[in-house]
Amino acid sequence: MSVAASQGPVGLGAGDTGDGGPAGTRRGLADRLGLARLSGVYVWALFIVVYAIWIPHTFLTVATLQSVAADQAITGIVALGLVFALAAGAFDLSFATLLTMSSVIVGSMMTAWHVPSALAILATICAGVAVGVINGLLVTKVGISSIVATLGMSSLIQAVIDRVTNGGEFVTGFPASFTRLASPEPFGIPVLAIYLVAAAFVAWYLLEHSPFGRRLQATGAGVDAARLAGVNTDRMVFVGLVASSAAATIGGILVTSQIGSVSPTIGTGYLLPVFAAVFLGTTQIKVGRFNIWGTIVAIYLLATGVKGLQLGGGEGWITDAFNGVALLLAVSLAVIGQRRRGGSRILPGGGVWRRRRARSTPTEEKPS
Amino acid sequence: MSDGPDAAALAVSGLRKTFPGQVALAGVGLHLRRGEVHALLGQNGSGKSTLIKVLAGVYQPGPGAEAEVNGTPLALGSAVAAHHAGLRFIHQDLGLVPTMDVVDNLALGQRYQARWWLSSRREEAAARGLLADLDAGIDVTALVGSLSAAERTIVAVARALRGGVSSSGVLVLDEPTASLPAAETGRLFRLLRTVAARGTAVLYVTHRISEVFELADWVTVLRDGRGVLSAPVSDVTHDLLVERIVGRPLAEFYPEPPSPESDDALAADGLAAARLRELSFTVRRGEIVGVAGISGSGREDVAPAMTGAIAWTRGRLAVGGRVIDSLDPATAIGLGIAYLPHDRKLHSAIPSFTVRENLTLPRLRAGRCGWLSLRRERADAQQWLDRLSVRPADTERVFATLSGGNQQKVVLARWMRCGARVFVLDEPTQGVDVGAKTMIYEALTDAARRGAAVVVASSDGEELARLCDRVIVLRDGRAEAELHGAALTAEAIGRLSLAGAVTP
Repeated sequence: MSVAASQGPVGLGAGDTGDGGPAGTRRGLADRLGLARLSGVYVWALFIVVYAIWIPHTFLTVATLQSVAADQAITGIVALGLVFALAAGAFDLSFATLLTMSSVIVGSMMTAWHVPSALAILATICAGVAVGVINGLLVTKVGISSIVATLGMSSLIQAVIDRVTNGGEFVTGFPASFTRLASPEPFGIPVLAIYLVAAAFVAWYLLEHSPFGRRLQATGAGVDAARLAGVNTDRMVFVGLVASSAAATIGGILVTSQIGSVSPTIGTGYLLPVFAAVFLGTTQIKVGRFNIWGTIVAIYLLATGVKGLQLGGGEGWITDAFNGVALLLAVSLAVIGQRRRGGSRILPGGGVWRRRRARSTPTEEKPS
Repeated sequence: MSDGPDAAALAVSGLRKTFPGQVALAGVGLHLRRGEVHALLGQNGSGKSTLIKVLAGVYQPGPGAEAEVNGTPLALGSAVAAHHAGLRFIHQDLGLVPTMDVVDNLALGQRYQARWWLSSRREEAAARGLLADLDAGIDVTALVGSLSAAERTIVAVARALRGGVSSSGVLVLDEPTASLPAAETGRLFRLLRTVAARGTAVLYVTHRISEVFELADWVTVLRDGRGVLSAPVSDVTHDLLVERIVGRPLAEFYPEPPSPESDDALAADGLAAARLRELSFTVRRGEIVGVAGISGSGREDVAPAMTGAIAWTRGRLAVGGRVIDSLDPATAIGLGIAYLPHDRKLHSAIPSFTVRENLTLPRLRAGRCGWLSLRRERADAQQWLDRLSVRPADTERVFATLSGGNQQKVVLARWMRCGARVFVLDEPTQGVDVGAKTMIYEALTDAARRGAAVVVASSDGEELARLCDRVIVLRDGRAEAELHGAALTAEAIGRLSLAGAVTP
């Protein structure tokens, strides 16, 4: 089979399901049960049932529920920011180190310079947003791919962290006004979980029910078409990257408040779970799109899976293994699902890969 | 052309294929003689793509299908068996790598001459020999991305024929000219005739009727999954083919051009952008103005330049009396200029978005507190789908799953919804079937009657001659001639486009 023929399903399947491709017409029982859209919820329920039977005494406790809710709230807030960057077609690889940097800045300001906590928080947010602005300018004005820009930024931030912390000093001893930020539990609900719910509603409105969000998604899904439809695509990418940085900064501040100390590696642990959750989120609720509730489902699905394994006696590596497998599986499922539905290969974040790639028609000028 | 009635290169009979809720093929037969160019015509949805996919082994046919290649039975539904039998396919997406040169592209999927050590001299010589054999005249060291669309198709043909299957094989081309400017098809046709003259049977899938007369010896027409006509090309007429394709007598195919009003809606003054060197012309309200020219004449840049998709280096544009020195897409939309690019998947719309989302993207109407109400948006979109009879009239359908004609209608509806007063179209009916073509022409004529100014850049002279009030012919980035009234014929457009060109 020649290459031309082996690429047949792609070329043929893309535009002409009018000829009767099975994609558009098949509506089975699985669809009606929402199996495709809500598979994560079913898997989540399965996890809970399995763990409840396996380790009822440790898993089915209020403490477990509270710790999952609180621990994942920060992952969730960071993930919500990343959704905006990815939906606009930009990767942000710098959010994890930025989270650490925020933690270091806010911690050092309060302990070393005795800055009031409110001022320290404000200054930290400004610094975090500045990182997002630089990322945004590198991608939109200079025209570097977002992966390269944020990877470089990530390394720079790491250098700043190492310089400031002298290669790994722990900082503790924050004012109570700061630690109170993350500790209250009204009616037994960790306040961090409440922050996440509030943030999710705001993000949901912005991404899925505002003209801005539609334009942002259009930019990620087809940057040229969006631009020709009058969308200021550069602004969308810029805003997406700033949102991601801002969310990571807030995450850094909250985690510092929660654990009451600064560790120079705190952010690293967020990189994979956040990406895993956001990509797994595209297989849920609004399939094929970066979306808010899908991301939230994914986060708690992953967290429950990991928590049960930990409580069941799993070792430390189990978390990494679980998240890694989940990320690969999630993206594979998303890609396979898309191929089966439309035939055309529109991957999540496809805008990133297609950005500024030369098209094959020489008679066409690149719109500049 | 045939050596005799028994020399069937490919004979297929009783081909059936059913998808849930739809019969794609209802017992189709096909008979290709060796050395014959056999055209397969039909609208989108007629089953021709399904037929090709069954031959290629992508789909399993229903029971009762039989196929023979050169008298040997062929098991349908296996890509490997099809390849062994000498069937070669060239799909619309040619499967070439633009950033690699011709030599490497020819070797892709086949093999290099050597096994252990790649000598570029040896590879180049082999590639040159292959292309010289086909009388193609293409530089083998050129990057495929720098070749013209026709040359790329020729490279794909050469690659498919590589490996010595040429004389007993069957070459299947699925709408190879869909993305080819009309002026470039001649080269491809010459090549296909050369290939056929050596005994290869060529199955040529198309929906351009004129190509059948230009190229084919035999024509088969599919409609609704059935073969409705199979005859020598010398026995059929253009009108007969259209009737069989559409399934109804030929009515008013091109609507009468509307009568233009007096005031100018759009005036370009010395525009220079990309290959446009100095373009000046005006379009009045209610007028349809065509832009013709061979590829490279600047014709392809007119629509992008008029709509802000590419930046100008010089010149001005007057829109409804306002003079503008530079333009970007958002500003153009604000001025009521609508752009319908020729590449629908990449530029017109977002393939993975729903019809509704694509329709409302340029002008999103949020309700209270900036809330986008899905219900209201759906009702809004539905109304437009009904108005332009988009099929299926489903607002939640993914745009990419619509046929070419319906995609174009959605994009047209999008701009009508924005209240566009100037429509700028680039190859509006490329890859669109006959029925939808009429709908698009009617929609454009209707928009012009309501006072819109329409600019159509097209490589199809026939289309321009019938649709437009006036046609501007570009050469070398300038408007060199203007045709209207009785002088406006496809023949005149072609002649003026080529006048002064170094190579036709």
